[in-house]
Amino acid sequence: MNTLSAFTMWAQKNRWIWAAIGVLLLWLVLSVVTNRFSLSSLSGIILSASFLTVVGIGQMFVVTTGRGNIDLSVASVITLSAFVALLTIKGQDANLAIGVVAAVLLGLAVGLLNSLLVVGLGIPAIIATLATGYVLATATLLSNKAIPGFAVSPALKDLATGRISGVPIMAIIAISGVAATSFVLRYTVFGQLLSAVGQNRAAARLAAINNGRVIAAAFIISSVLASLDGLLLGAYIGGAFLEMGQPYLLQSIAAVVLGGTLIFGGSATALGTLLASILLILIVTTMQIIGLPPGAQDIVQGIVVIFVLALAGRQALTRRTTAEPADGATPKTQAKAAASLPE
Amino acid sequence: MSHLAVADQKSAVAMAPAMSLRQEIVALSQITKSFGPTLANAEIDLAVSAGEIIGLVGGNGAGKSTLMRILCGAMWPTLGSISFAGQTIGFVTYDTAEAQRRGIRMVHQELSLCTNLSVAENFFLETPADAASRPGWRRLYRTRARSALDAVFPGNGIDVDADVGHLSIAERQMVEIARAAATPGVRLIVLDEPTSSLDLDRSKQLRAFIRERAKAGLAFIFISHKLKEIIDIATQVVVLRNGRTSWRGDVADTSIDRLVQLMGGDANPVHQHGAAVAGAGDAVVRLSGALTSELGRDVEIARGEIVGLAGLEGSGQKDLLHAIFKPGKDGPVTRTGEAGFIAGDRQKEGVFPLWSVLGNISIGSLARRPSLGLVSDRLNRTAAGDAAGRLRLDESRFGSNILELSGGNQQKALVARALVADTPIILLDDPTRGVDIATKQDFYRLCNDIARSGRTLVWHTTEDAELLACDRVLVFAGGRIVKELSGEAITEAAVVGASFVHQVDKRADTTHRTAGAAGLARRLVNAAPFIGLAAVLAVMITANPAVASIFGLDLLLMPALSLVMVTAAQMFIVGGSEIDLGVGAFAGLVSVLSATLLYDQPWLGALALLAAVAVYAGLGGLIQARKIPAIVVTLGASFIWVGLGYALQPTPGGASPEWLTALFGWSLDFLPTSIILIAAVALVVLTIDRLPLGVVLRGFGNNPTAMIRSGWSPTRYALMRYLIAGLFAAAAGLSLTAINTASDINSGSSFTLLSVAAVVMGGCSLLGGVVSPVGAIAGAVTLSLIGALLGTLNVSSDYNAATQGLILIALLTLRGLTADRGSEQ
Repeated sequence: MNTLSAFTMWAQKNRWIWAAIGVLLLWLVLSVVTNRFSLSSLSGIILSASFLTVVGIGQMFVVTTGRGNIDLSVASVITLSAFVALLTIKGQDANLAIGVVAAVLLGLAVGLLNSLLVVGLGIPAIIATLATGYVLATATLLSNKAIPGFAVSPALKDLATGRISGVPIMAIIAISGVAATSFVLRYTVFGQLLSAVGQNRAAARLAAINNGRVIAAAFIISSVLASLDGLLLGAYIGGAFLEMGQPYLLQSIAAVVLGGTLIFGGSATALGTLLASILLILIVTTMQIIGLPPGAQDIVQGIVVIFVLALAGRQALTRRTTAEPADGATPKTQAKAAASLPE
Repeated sequence: MSHLAVADQKSAVAMAPAMSLRQEIVALSQITKSFGPTLANAEIDLAVSAGEIIGLVGGNGAGKSTLMRILCGAMWPTLGSISFAGQTIGFVTYDTAEAQRRGIRMVHQELSLCTNLSVAENFFLETPADAASRPGWRRLYRTRARSALDAVFPGNGIDVDADVGHLSIAERQMVEIARAAATPGVRLIVLDEPTSSLDLDRSKQLRAFIRERAKAGLAFIFISHKLKEIIDIATQVVVLRNGRTSWRGDVADTSIDRLVQLMGGDANPVHQHGAAVAGAGDAVVRLSGALTSELGRDVEIARGEIVGLAGLEGSGQKDLLHAIFKPGKDGPVTRTGEAGFIAGDRQKEGVFPLWSVLGNISIGSLARRPSLGLVSDRLNRTAAGDAAGRLRLDESRFGSNILELSGGNQQKALVARALVADTPIILLDDPTRGVDIATKQDFYRLCNDIARSGRTLVWHTTEDAELLACDRVLVFAGGRIVKELSGEAITEAAVVGASFVHQVDKRADTTHRTAGAAGLARRLVNAAPFIGLAAVLAVMITANPAVASIFGLDLLLMPALSLVMVTAAQMFIVGGSEIDLGVGAFAGLVSVLSATLLYDQPWLGALALLAAVAVYAGLGGLIQARKIPAIVVTLGASFIWVGLGYALQPTPGGASPEWLTALFGWSLDFLPTSIILIAAVALVVLTIDRLPLGVVLRGFGNNPTAMIRSGWSPTRYALMRYLIAGLFAAAAGLSLTAINTASDINSGSSFTLLSVAAVVMGGCSLLGGVVSPVGAIAGAVTLSLIGALLGTLNVSSDYNAATQGLILIALLTLRGLTADRGSEQ
């Protein structure tokens, strides 16, 4: 009992643990049920999960700014970036630098546009990134007509698909990214400011924090990561196609929420996003192994997201309700407390 | 028989003193409420009889709000019972709706009106039983509102058809009080700080009204920090302290001094500021321009000074604090040196709820450091420890979550935050609000110390007594400084005198002057969807006159019909301040269902359609019940809809049932079918929106707390909202099948985002509560014509999406620029 409650306390602060448990359980079940699962198949899963992790980390920054902020443009950025890579690199290693610069510039431009709309003009993030997505969709259609062919630079291909002593290079990139992000969130001023802005914007402003700059930084990080991810993903699949980024929209949000980052903002966990990405890919892989049709895979993914949110939603609820004795709670939390009564 | 009568007599005699005058309405007994380790209420008894006016006093955190929430059914106690007229009832069945049925009404401090609804509609929310779903149902509530307002506040001049959002705070307070008082069957009214925003005359009117109604048997609980009012109005006084009843008795047996003592402080808690250092230091803040025009000279605030801002609430004191915090270019305020801010509204502007006390303190020093600088817990702890020591804040609590602290200690942490920020100017926004007396005294001492150490304090307070601690006081009226008091001249009488004498109505004319131009611009933006639609049609008809024929218009507008219906669905969701990212996919699924199952096996198909709509509505209930973000849930649901569609029909195909095709395929000679159908959809949406149901849905979009307090069930109406949306989306799906005479699961996907765009274009607020059905539908038609328009102009259809996106951005930008300031937040 005591260890259980101690664990619950600990798990409340380390919400990534649930994703970790999920990965372990599913992995165990798969290993026992099928004999095909081995360490090498795990590395394949981690490779796929790495692409998701990179865009998920970006999404996590945006979600953490609070107020239900979500970057809906990541899918379009991934697709467009893959096309831009084909246009700039043209399959030549010599052009690789130009390609990387182009990808970063694309990310910066989209991120700046998003933050201009959200911070500068005060348009809600969902609508702003939705509109940006529309504009990028047209850009993608135009570049689709302009691409010379589907040649991919060999060096980039090596980076996206290669392994170092069995470990995918992509996984190393993703894991180092996660480590760096964890450090930034926990030990830098920016990480603290981000959390502050996500928790209480008015209080952050009065603590002399420049909210706009912090939020803009989150959107730029998200777009740049999505753009780099698109570059690598294009190299991995050996080209680009319309809608190739689409699955990453829901999955990136799912990875963030599943990993334990609060959807209401203010608290992020990069490790959780990594683990949740692996879990999501594991689920998809499992369904492929079982031989479920693509439709069923969609259904299962949707159910997982809703289910996890329904569980996580209650956690946030109890946290806010216990917060109430402090006088003069805001109307919203009061509403929540009142609404939770009949349960 | 006989001994029964005797027993009756006996008990009648025993109860006579109570019964003769007063009949007990409600009694709480032994109420205990714990939040984790803290006891908000401990063994409190409170009985209210007819005709009583109970003055309830106590410092904030004394447990008044908790007790009142329990009384009104908004919260259950941990222990204790409640009885009505001597009959105990279980708390399990006691909620806000039940409290209202039993005649208990509460007027909350932070007003419970829906600002997007009219005064009359707000009256409807409180007593919905008398409304009928037919035209003219508002008339009853208009009359009721009019007579209720006039009964309490004669000569109020409030328009009952005006949106509450357009009323002043005092007028809203009056509406809220009148609404509670006018409720049929009301027996007890709880007034929480009812006079906080009323001027003296209105406050007198209110008290006269209370006295008169109490004579007629209505009971009141009057909560106020203004003890003079309590002594004036109450018949009984209940004093709470630390969650317990510290005294209850007749008002004649007490006095202001005695009450203050009972609440836990001495009557004159404010210490005069020590040796005045005023005038010694250099000026750090300079106020000029319109702000000081009444004084006729600039005001300079020097180093080491404590300057108080006084006046009636909302006369411009807060605005000045914010102007000093962030001086505008060429504004009336200039400052040298950084300014720190200590907020009094801790929940909204102060604490970071996820963090520990330490985190809440040390953030103060972070904002001014480079973003990639490193944070060290050890250094933070040392810096915070210093500040906490001066504040008598226990360092062992640094690790606790900030919300586990009492209000007073939270405020200390916020002061510590300002101290570690180490700014030469510190702005205080009513920091002692809801803080216990002991902490207040620590606080006054600290302010003195801070000022002596050479820092400047600018202090806005709503407790006039606190101004005695200041070196100088600036008295505000109507947004300007009307009087400057210093030293001995600072007395409560002088402050009150100055703030009332200079009651000028300057604000009213400044707002009127700007309203003209901005109003025109706003109207233009609101008309944008119609202007846009007219322009698009004009261009197309000029390019190809055949478009103007009935056949041409049908060809063009029929495909818009499905989007129009999806937009109607989305509009109801947006009205609840949510967004549905799965609505297009849902329409696609319905289309697939109708072209496969419904075609092959009509009964099974109909059943499947019903089930789909039910699941869709259930999703809304889930979102509400679990408080989870609709965007993500509906995005997840969109995968489910698409997945189901694929599973049913892997490739496009199927066929439309004949009756369905006929439903959309008829034609009249003189009007295009598409226009009639679109107009019909608009009419249905408009009707729902104007019915009581629509008013309730808009109310939830604007102020769910108020709706819950009025006894409305949020989950039921979330279900209702999604059910309506689901029906419109399903109709859209059916229309897709009928128009395409086949189905494709992806046929609805593009509608999701377009519908959001159309709703926003149409003028609905994403914050919820503001819907404009006709605008949204015009927006939907315009957006669906973009493709055809580009075709007419010989532009590649690749630009379709970008054009739609840019239109959306442009409209939102325009709307953002013309909207009232503040309404966007």
